[in-house]
Amino acid sequence: MMAPERSRPMSAKAIVLLLLVAAGVWSAVALDLDPRRLWPGREGWLLAAGFFGHAFRPALTHEGVDIPAGATPLLLGALAAAVRTVAFAAAAMLPSLVVGLLLGFGGSTAWWAADRDRGQAGRVSAGVRFRATFGPGVSTVCRLAAALLRSVHELLWAVLFLAAFGITPLAAVIAIALPYAGTLAKVFAELIDEAPRPAAGALREAGAGPVAVFLFGLLPRAMPDMTAYAIYRFECALRAAAVLGFFGFPTLGYHIAASFENLYYGEVWTYLYVLVALVVAVEWWSVQVRRRLVA
Amino acid sequence: MSDAQRTIDRLYAERPRSRFLALSAWLATAVVLASWLGGGFLREPAWNSHRAANLQRFLGEIVPYPLQGRDWNWAEAAAWFGDLWRDHLGQATAATLAISVAAILLAGVLAVLLAPWAARNFARPDPFLPEPRPVGRGRRGLWTAVVVVTRAVLILLRSLPGYVWAFLLLGLFGPTAWPLVLALALHNAGVLGKLTADMVENLEGPTLSSLRGLGAHRTQIAVAGMAPLSLNRFLLYLFCRWETCVRQATVLGMLSLVSLGFWIQDARARNHYDEMVLAMACGALLVVVGDLVSAVAREVVRRS
Repeated sequence: MMAPERSRPMSAKAIVLLLLVAAGVWSAVALDLDPRRLWPGREGWLLAAGFFGHAFRPALTHEGVDIPAGATPLLLGALAAAVRTVAFAAAAMLPSLVVGLLLGFGGSTAWWAADRDRGQAGRVSAGVRFRATFGPGVSTVCRLAAALLRSVHELLWAVLFLAAFGITPLAAVIAIALPYAGTLAKVFAELIDEAPRPAAGALREAGAGPVAVFLFGLLPRAMPDMTAYAIYRFECALRAAAVLGFFGFPTLGYHIAASFENLYYGEVWTYLYVLVALVVAVEWWSVQVRRRLVA
Repeated sequence: MSDAQRTIDRLYAERPRSRFLALSAWLATAVVLASWLGGGFLREPAWNSHRAANLQRFLGEIVPYPLQGRDWNWAEAAAWFGDLWRDHLGQATAATLAISVAAILLAGVLAVLLAPWAARNFARPDPFLPEPRPVGRGRRGLWTAVVVVTRAVLILLRSLPGYVWAFLLLGLFGPTAWPLVLALALHNAGVLGKLTADMVENLEGPTLSSLRGLGAHRTQIAVAGMAPLSLNRFLLYLFCRWETCVRQATVLGMLSLVSLGFWIQDARARNHYDEMVLAMACGALLVVVGDLVSAVAREVVRRS
């Protein structure tokens, strides 16, 4: 019996996997990633043992010898830094949500696609004609604006603002808000476009305007996923706010850097665990909200 | 009152309500308002003559150096860019890309190794098919512990931002590319591991239970059942996370050598804002190209 022919063309997925492997090899060569360097020397081991050993005994009071008499207790200081981290992240969410919703709705096809199809039917109102004509252009502009905003990382926006205006807390908040607005806009646009449209179509047929169609036809269907994503972004904003501490803002990162440079590893782990607790709390909240919204 | 109005009222009264959601919405609003009012962000004036002068100076200094105070000249701007590109920007852009690629692949490998042990339908005495006789409490407890510990490790990995990981690892490894690659890989292994574990928990049962019914052991189920069933979604997640890796790879360089971030930091320290903005633009371009490549790759995977 003849063997079955085996000259199947390679599947697209196999090509993607092969390219991934090739990219990995290229990156290892380009960066000179020698696995042997992962094995730290004796000094590295001592340092690693000292640092990771403290993971199981985080500091409860300040480490070091001469602590000034009036110093804030460590845990109270960590709590205050956590509150400031939340404040930076929450403050950044307001402008990014507003801009993200505007750009996200503008960038979706939901508010003009139906009008464009109807525009060819002859006599239509000025509004329909307007949306059919300018809709595609406006949504392209919105998508481009969102892509530009999120192509620069929040820390780089912070560096830019530092150079352009000088250091202010407001600049840090805006630095987080800009790329997050871009990311929210992209995801919101996708979610709005993926939401089922029959309800929106019915509203439109009944004569509702585009704002009403969006608010009562589209938004309710896309809302659960949009809420869940916004909470996830808040979780990311918490991490970003913490990292801004490395640039001198009074969030958790400031204390992590200071304690690490003083070799107070127990304190570092205290602050790290506070950050972990914040993120875990937000994640728990997100799961609870989602469960109730989807049900 | 008309019938229609009565129906509307009844539907309104019967609408699904959740005290938790209402409370969540109020809490979120309160936290945002309190942050704006009590966070001190509005204490300093956002705009004054000092800041205006600062901005004007900055805008003057981001013009390419040879052209500062002169008319714009494309040829000279191109020459300025070409020199910097050949000198270090080209190499740094390539290194940034390489960091993101190495990191996401390492993260993917780590996630694949960790995720099964975090999936409650796999990490149990009787994966995918209940055993005919009851399983001992000890064995069941042991597997529950495996899930709890793995999930805790994943949470720890993903709660700490890549920047913090890089900062800590640089102290341990010294300035090579490894700390940056590892930092991104660890954070993203936490994210990918969680997503993959949740995906495995949602895998459809029949294929996997019949494998076990035929006598396949755990590794065989994982390789022959779970892997092919979850490969597509896993690749989609991988490319999504790679997009964030490209963004972060630029930034992490600010902590050490290699990536574009190093040159951003370097130019900033020397007050060469023209070079700083150019390095940022290279990073932004890399991000845009990366997003495009990722979108194409995800489309290919989705169609296959």
